[in-house]
Amino acid sequence: MLKKKVCLVGQFGVGKTSLVRRFVDSIFDERYLSTVGVKIDRKDVTVGSESVTLMLWDLAGEDEVAQLNLSHLRGASGYILVVDGCRANSLAKAIELQQRIAGQFGPLPFVLVLNKADLREQWEVQNKAVSERGWATFETSAKAGSGVEEMFRALAEMVVSEISK
Amino acid sequence: MNLLAALGYAVFERVSEGEFQLSGTAPDWVPAGCLTEAFPFLEVFLPDAEELWAGASGHATLYSDLWAQDNLHFCAIAIAAEQKFLVIECAERRFLQAQSFLQYAHEAALARDQVAKLTEAKTEFLARMSHEIRTPMNALLGMAELLSETPLNDEQREYVQVFRRAGDNLLNVINDILDFSKVEAGQIELENIAFHLPEVLAEAVEIAGVRAHAKGLTLTSWIEPNVPTCLIGDPGRLRQILLNLLGNSTKFTERGGLGVQVKLDPDGALHVSISDTGIGIPPERLSTIFESFSQADASTTRKYGGTGLGLAISKRFVELMGGRIWAESVPGEGATMHFTVRFLVGEGLEKPAKKAAPSLHARALRILLADDSEENRFLIRGYLKGAGCNIDEVGNGALAVERFRQYPYDLVLMDTEMPVLDGYSAVRQMRAFERGRASTPTPIFALTAHALPEARDRSFEAGCTEHLTKPIQKATLIEAINKWVSGALAEDHIPAGDPINVSVEPWLRPVVGGYLEKRRSDVGKLRGALDSGDFATIRTLGHQMMGTGGGYGFDPITEIGSAIEAAALAGDAARMRACIDDLDRYLRYVQVD
Repeated sequence: MLKKKVCLVGQFGVGKTSLVRRFVDSIFDERYLSTVGVKIDRKDVTVGSESVTLMLWDLAGEDEVAQLNLSHLRGASGYILVVDGCRANSLAKAIELQQRIAGQFGPLPFVLVLNKADLREQWEVQNKAVSERGWATFETSAKAGSGVEEMFRALAEMVVSEISK
Repeated sequence: MNLLAALGYAVFERVSEGEFQLSGTAPDWVPAGCLTEAFPFLEVFLPDAEELWAGASGHATLYSDLWAQDNLHFCAIAIAAEQKFLVIECAERRFLQAQSFLQYAHEAALARDQVAKLTEAKTEFLARMSHEIRTPMNALLGMAELLSETPLNDEQREYVQVFRRAGDNLLNVINDILDFSKVEAGQIELENIAFHLPEVLAEAVEIAGVRAHAKGLTLTSWIEPNVPTCLIGDPGRLRQILLNLLGNSTKFTERGGLGVQVKLDPDGALHVSISDTGIGIPPERLSTIFESFSQADASTTRKYGGTGLGLAISKRFVELMGGRIWAESVPGEGATMHFTVRFLVGEGLEKPAKKAAPSLHARALRILLADDSEENRFLIRGYLKGAGCNIDEVGNGALAVERFRQYPYDLVLMDTEMPVLDGYSAVRQMRAFERGRASTPTPIFALTAHALPEARDRSFEAGCTEHLTKPIQKATLIEAINKWVSGALAEDHIPAGDPINVSVEPWLRPVVGGYLEKRRSDVGKLRGALDSGDFATIRTLGHQMMGTGGGYGFDPITEIGSAIEAAALAGDAARMRACIDDLDRYLRYVQVD
């Protein structure tokens, strides 16, 4: 069985841990707990006829206090840039992280996630501003569950098709 | 190592690269099998640990990040000693401590973002509102101005004046609120430019003086000699603080006066104190008056008006300039506002040689303005607004003479055509009155719509000092006042001994040398003509200079030329000689950049 390491990165509080919990355990918890260091989960998915174990590395959100330790991405097959639709500066952070990761690890498959779709009326991020970049983009709500499964599955497909290239 | 194992740590001894052997008993949370299988995080940590083991001599340890998996929290420690160990700690407590710290930091950051967003929204709202209010206000004030220029009876005129005053007050309030919200939002950035401290103080005193003098208050200012005059900082904001504090002191003072003193504190800060003889501030309010929307007595707001924002704005500015602000007061006797600010000391900043617009000297002038047209009086008032002048207004020549006999004036502005007694006759009577008392002639300017040379002659014949043609430009009036009332063109306009640098348009450069040479030769001709009593030649030469100087970029030549012409027309030999000296001096020091 294929085993693939996938990292979730983004500003603090954008919902990385919640997305993983929704995907792995189908749970959403209102409480906000900051992730310290790294949280590792696994989830099996099927891509075509292939079974893949996704090793989900949920990395602590970057902020003034803690800078993302890029070495945690060592050996990753792909990554997820998570943005809080309600905070425009979280998109800027995601764009910056993408550049840093691509600079160090080359062109890895990744998706951009606009999370907190349940709070869409408070969104500061315009989908248009994102789509101009031509990145694979998903709108998700870890709280309501919408788009989460599709997003992880799409990244799994990208990662698997990368191997067959 | 057994001790570590006993404490619940999983201890592995490194056999070779990537191969580890369990040392002692494994705690129950350690799954069997390959280490990196059981703890995927070690895939990241082990390469770093291998480096440590390869390089380290003696005792060295390397800690991994905290990581969580299967609801447990871990930390890996690589130890290099005689033997090489990998220790895995089940780090629940450390994790919880780190988490509460991060949680706190994140919540603070989120709250800060929220506050920033709210402040931004508030500022935008205020900016928008003030714009929305200002646009119709401009129309209202503009219309009031136009209305005041139409024929109105006294009652209507009074109504329009009230209208305008209220509008001006409202605009000030709006500006204050906007300024304050900008300060609050941290949107004010201080300038860092070289400026001349006495000039900034003089400007503030000049503006604040208008209101103070109107209330019959004195206003004095004093800069200690050891205070550096050339500073680097934000002169605009400094002026605003001074105006706020002076305006405030004026508002709460009914008799007596205000004084501004600038000195240097022992620590090098500039210390400004503004004292008044007003109602004072009760001791319990001394510390709160600098808070926004605060006046010493809530009930005073009704009597004295104002938003109470001026002091709060000043406090913020002072703090931005690295200083503090405080007040001292004896209720009933007055108050002193102190503030300190820090500026860098500038070097070699000269007073600007050429001012953008002429301004009056800081001295408060007492002016008699005689004109039967309210529009013209309004215009002159407007021109002299902010110059600290007391203006007495009369509508005909007879009243002008009557006032002139009662009060000593620094200056008389006389319309030539007026009912009851025309301006020329009034001036003759004034001169006769002065001769009778053997007093120094008061400068009298004729204001007339007649630009013909005959009109000028008539004015000088009647005894006027200067002849100004309507429509009068503000700069012309103020230049004339500075010239005649201070009575010292040379001292005011031309510093003795220093080169006067003048910038000239590039296309004029080839000819200015010749122009200045010609004027230098005029000096000799003028002196000759003066000696032979040939005033007609002096007048012609003066007139030529007046018409050409400014065009070449030499405004003082135009000024002096005009003064020479006027002196020649008046037959005033002493003044002609003084003007020729001025010209001579100017031509000797002028340099073209």
